[in-house]
Amino acid sequence: MRLGVLYGIVLGLALLTAGCNAMPGDPRSGPPIPPDQVTDFHILYNRNCQACHGANGRNGPAIDLANPEYEALIDDTTLRRIVANGMPGTEMPAWAQSAGGMLTDAQVNALVAGMRREWARPNAFAGGTPPPYAQNQTGDAKRGQQTYQARCASCHHTPAHQQVTSPVYLSLVSDQMLRTLIIAGRPDIRQPDWRHDTPNGGAGQPLSAQDVTDIVAYLHALRNPDEVSAAPLSNAPRR
Amino acid sequence: MSRLKRIYDWFELRLQLEGPVGEVVLHKVPRDTASWWYVFGSAAFTLLMLQIVTGILLALVYVPSGAQAWNSLNILNHQIPLGWYLRALHGWGSDFMVAVVFIHMAQVFLFGAYKYPRELTWTVGVFLLLATLGMAFTGQVLRFDQDAYWGLGIGVFIMSRVPWIGGGLVHLLLGGPVIAGATLSRFFTLHVFVIPGTLLLLALVHVWMVIKLGINEWPMPGRLVRRSTYIADYNKLAHEDGIPFVPGAFWKDLIFSGAVVAAVAVCAAVFGPYGPGGQPDPSIIQTVPKPDFPFLWIYAVLSYLPPSMETPFILVAPILMIAGLLAVPFVAGEGEKSWHRRPVAILALASVAVAWAVFTNLATFTPWSPHMNAWSGDTLPVRYLEEATPLVRQGAVIFQAKQCRNCHSVGGHGGQRGPALDDVATRMTVDQLRFKVVSGGGNMPAYGKNLSPPEIEALVSFLETLHPKGQSPAIDAAQQAVENAAASPPGSQGGTP
Repeated sequence: MRLGVLYGIVLGLALLTAGCNAMPGDPRSGPPIPPDQVTDFHILYNRNCQACHGANGRNGPAIDLANPEYEALIDDTTLRRIVANGMPGTEMPAWAQSAGGMLTDAQVNALVAGMRREWARPNAFAGGTPPPYAQNQTGDAKRGQQTYQARCASCHHTPAHQQVTSPVYLSLVSDQMLRTLIIAGRPDIRQPDWRHDTPNGGAGQPLSAQDVTDIVAYLHALRNPDEVSAAPLSNAPRR
Repeated sequence: MSRLKRIYDWFELRLQLEGPVGEVVLHKVPRDTASWWYVFGSAAFTLLMLQIVTGILLALVYVPSGAQAWNSLNILNHQIPLGWYLRALHGWGSDFMVAVVFIHMAQVFLFGAYKYPRELTWTVGVFLLLATLGMAFTGQVLRFDQDAYWGLGIGVFIMSRVPWIGGGLVHLLLGGPVIAGATLSRFFTLHVFVIPGTLLLLALVHVWMVIKLGINEWPMPGRLVRRSTYIADYNKLAHEDGIPFVPGAFWKDLIFSGAVVAAVAVCAAVFGPYGPGGQPDPSIIQTVPKPDFPFLWIYAVLSYLPPSMETPFILVAPILMIAGLLAVPFVAGEGEKSWHRRPVAILALASVAVAWAVFTNLATFTPWSPHMNAWSGDTLPVRYLEEATPLVRQGAVIFQAKQCRNCHSVGGHGGQRGPALDDVATRMTVDQLRFKVVSGGGNMPAYGKNLSPPEIEALVSFLETLHPKGQSPAIDAAQQAVENAAASPPGSQGGTP
């Protein structure tokens, strides 16, 4: 009996000493890093981006950065410019310290590199050739309206005042943003890309580069400065 | 005679401690005094010893200089084996000591133990409490991180408001007009020499009086304290129905003190050391500094005070509190000790305890303060956007980007300055939402001039979707009646009841 107690005490002490290396209170993470020296992509993304672009780049209110097609469509320079200087005509603010934000150049680079590493996929377009990111033709709003009616209106119909044709909506987004969304789609909310495949996987008829440009020209024309004050007509920043 | 006995006798002949120590150890205390309620004082003293031992060990590594203090704490945390555990013991020992001292004081108050002839014991106890809090505050400053830096800044701002000598006091405390190299040396001196010296001296005086005057008897309703008879009554009680202090009462002290030290050890092992948090660099503004546990209630009280009340409150309240505590044994030095017949005392203690708990709790989640990074770091629950139209989705972007989230939580995340908006559509109609955003009201600023009309429309259409599934949003009944009337054919108007 007494021997048992003694063994128990010795065993307890041994366990306690052995446990010293694995006690839950042991601060293993290292000293805190000053906020301007954090270059871990996940920390930076979670602190600065995920509120609008969604956790892991999906299901946020703003564009899904985890869409491999988006990652393939936009080149490094443009992506970096948007993160650093913001996107005129949208709510995307400038993040670089040089443009009034809180992030250093190294942090902006870490974000761009991290997005590529996490979300870019080889052959994202599966052999297809999408219209280019930047508009390189002139659009025809009339033709754009016909294309819109034929190709977009079947999903974008009710309620009409909350659709993409609403001047209120259009005054909050830029033409480039509309173009990017039409080309790359939003797989997280089941919006098809320019190829227009049906939600259940059936192959659709792709929009041509001219179609995309025309639709954007049509939407652009719908922004009526008389009805919605302070709404921009172009990509120029508001206010 | 053994060799050991000879050595003992050699020392005893010169020190002559056997008599006084024996007297202390064997002095009789009333039988009821050997209670589990009377163990907090000794536990506080034990914790003081623990703090001294761990403090000395910490001082071997700690560098009290503005440039190196933070680094030396990180060396303790990450490079020295079990250095983190030493810091954790000292930190948790501090919290336990503050808590035990407060519990001890509440118990003494509740049991009427401050009454004649123990007034001075209480008075010294009040200064012991202040010294303990002084240790907690200076200790927080020595943990030279962002919390320490800004906490000290606030402490100094409070001091600077003392009329006439405020500036001088700040200079004296900081060693200059700003927190700099000399500041930490001064706090090191305070934390390591001045306050502990005072604390130890006062604690010895306190214990001396406890031994000399005897431990308070168990309060009995109707057994009144009178200056003329109390000491004789107490001695009678102690001698007729008393037991020797050791082991009669002492074993409970030992067990409780041991349990408290064990609790400190377990908390230290499980929860680890406090910080150090971010670097104490005033150019880093992405920080939400908070004071340590004993001062959270002050943080909450100061946050809720209207600005005009701050200075009077800061300057007058501490004096009133301390004066009130010091006055207790002189106002009520005689009479009933039992809580059964002291309703005012019970109510006073309960009110203070409840107020303290409420303010401390509030300070842990700071509902008065916006969460400055909620707009960029807190995601919206995915289900809120499942059926969103393009405009609603854009409204959600506006909601995040315009930082509504910093004051209004959604899905449990965000600031708590304004109401949570998860079901705002059930409370307000579209028109009311629009009006509130544009014109503000209550605590809310007006955003009519900061948001463009499309932004407001998009925002309101998003807010309109915030209602639980199966619960319809609020409607304007009058407007709907008008619309119904307009929609129905003219002939049928009188037909419906």
